[in-house]
Amino acid sequence: MAAVKTNEPVEEQMPRRKFLAWLSGVGIAGTTLAGVFSTFAFMKPRATYGQPSRFQIGRPEDFPPGARIAIDTKRVCIVREGNKVAAISTTCTHLGCIVAPSMTGFACPCHGSQFDVDGNVTGGPAPKPLAWFQVTLTPSGDLEVDKDNEIETGTYLSV
Amino acid sequence: MSDESKSIWQNVLDFPANVKKSIFRNPLPSSDRGRAATSFSNLFLHIQPVRVTRKALKPSYTMGLGLISLFLFFILTGTGVLLMFYYVPSTTQAYDRMLDLRSSVAFGVILRNMHRWAAHAMVAVVFLHMCRVFFTGSYKTPREFNWNIGVALFLLTLLSSFTGYLLPWDQLAFWAITVGTSIAGYAPFVGKALKFMLLGDTTVGQEALLRFYVLHVVVLPLVLTLFVGVHFWRIRKDGGLAKASEPEVEPVIVVAPVAEPVPVLAAAASASAEPTRRFSLQGLVRGTFVKVDKIDPDTVFSWPNLLIAELFVLLLTIAGVLLVSILFNAPLEKPVNIMHPPNPAKAPWYFLGLQEQVSYSAFWGGIGVPGIELLLLVLLPYFDRGKQGIGRWFARERILANSIFLLFVIVNVILIVIGTFFRGANWQFVSPF
Repeated sequence: MAAVKTNEPVEEQMPRRKFLAWLSGVGIAGTTLAGVFSTFAFMKPRATYGQPSRFQIGRPEDFPPGARIAIDTKRVCIVREGNKVAAISTTCTHLGCIVAPSMTGFACPCHGSQFDVDGNVTGGPAPKPLAWFQVTLTPSGDLEVDKDNEIETGTYLSV
Repeated sequence: MSDESKSIWQNVLDFPANVKKSIFRNPLPSSDRGRAATSFSNLFLHIQPVRVTRKALKPSYTMGLGLISLFLFFILTGTGVLLMFYYVPSTTQAYDRMLDLRSSVAFGVILRNMHRWAAHAMVAVVFLHMCRVFFTGSYKTPREFNWNIGVALFLLTLLSSFTGYLLPWDQLAFWAITVGTSIAGYAPFVGKALKFMLLGDTTVGQEALLRFYVLHVVVLPLVLTLFVGVHFWRIRKDGGLAKASEPEVEPVIVVAPVAEPVPVLAAAASASAEPTRRFSLQGLVRGTFVKVDKIDPDTVFSWPNLLIAELFVLLLTIAGVLLVSILFNAPLEKPVNIMHPPNPAKAPWYFLGLQEQVSYSAFWGGIGVPGIELLLLVLLPYFDRGKQGIGRWFARERILANSIFLLFVIVNVILIVIGTFFRGANWQFVSPF
């Protein structure tokens, strides 16, 4: 390198070296970032293989007035009062255990959270009331629960 | 012709000796030089120093806890790889495979028992090792970073144990993981995404089982092995086990100029443009353990003193795990019933302190308080800078630090005891008596 004799100032060579170093740095950092990002994107599934969050639960006649029927496989409790129907989540808002209908509403076996009949917290560590899901009547006359659609506590569907 | 056949015959006669010589560079040492060379030239022995202090060998100083952790990890790797031959990470098959281990796999029960109990033991022993390091003040300069490697190893141990907990796919597994991953969901900002990514779904199911399996058998053991390597490397580079009478604690970089070039370096040195700058192969080392011409009188050769101590600990560890595995069977509850959580649903014992905290507040018990505790553990060696009482159990100079840590240990043990024995259905307070 010392053999290269040039009259041009030394500064002329430095920017190129600096630029290449900078370019390599950006390249390595970019590759790392892209790698991390794509790994995360890969790990986050686009489609899940679990149950669909929208499902039919039967006809309104299946749920007589006053019924409180917990469908544990779907993790909802279907409540009918008079001609009004609602679906209350049975997934504990504390840590995801399944709450069971009790005399006073719902009780969680894991950490002792208590809920009233509408899912409002009455005791234990649960931070939020149980979710209410939208219930609709399909054209065929079946009740359909949409767990992606949370609605306000106390909102019933009239049937 | 006859000369050659004779030499071939001689080679045949020498064959066993030559094979042995090709494997082991040194004969069994009979001199100090040989003992040093044995430690130095063997891949597995060179991890250890040539000489160790007598104190490091005293069982009452280290109690061999770090070594026991390592051997438990070896046992877990061995039994774990064997168990993998019969395990299928599928929600429909996993539990049946557990039953098969009992009924149709030779030594299946004892292998699973060993894996389970060694895992429980490793969590306990790694924690006790951490306590030992704290109470002897061994995390202080220059060992701050290695303390944090140790904290990371403790977390990796917990994670390995936690991911393994799901694999039998019984009620115990399913609900412990449901609760555990929900705690992760309380983490601020990233909680929900983290939980979804960990489970591969919104609830614990096939995706979660597969993910936990991959983490348990590949990812975590690899990371753990890497960290163990760094941990051991740093023990050596930070000057071995913490010693009480270490006059010089600050690491000093010593550049030792060599009068006569070492033959290996001769060619390189002559090629160098500036022949005055020469370094021996080990020229750049930390001052604390350069022992040329001034060997600490309180040290002994690792071969055989350290080696015998290590083999003894290894035997004791294997014997202990085997004994417990013969006496007690690893628990296996009913197969997963998504509809009916057991009441109470309890996490493994080492998480019951956490679960007890969580029963008061999910965020503070599961994320907030443990996060703060972890942060304190990580920052500890950078703020506790006193140089007093290093390398002694419960040194009087460290009474404040030791008291605080003891309180931290006692509180967590009490929480675990409450969670284990005093909590019944609906997490109500019950008396075990």
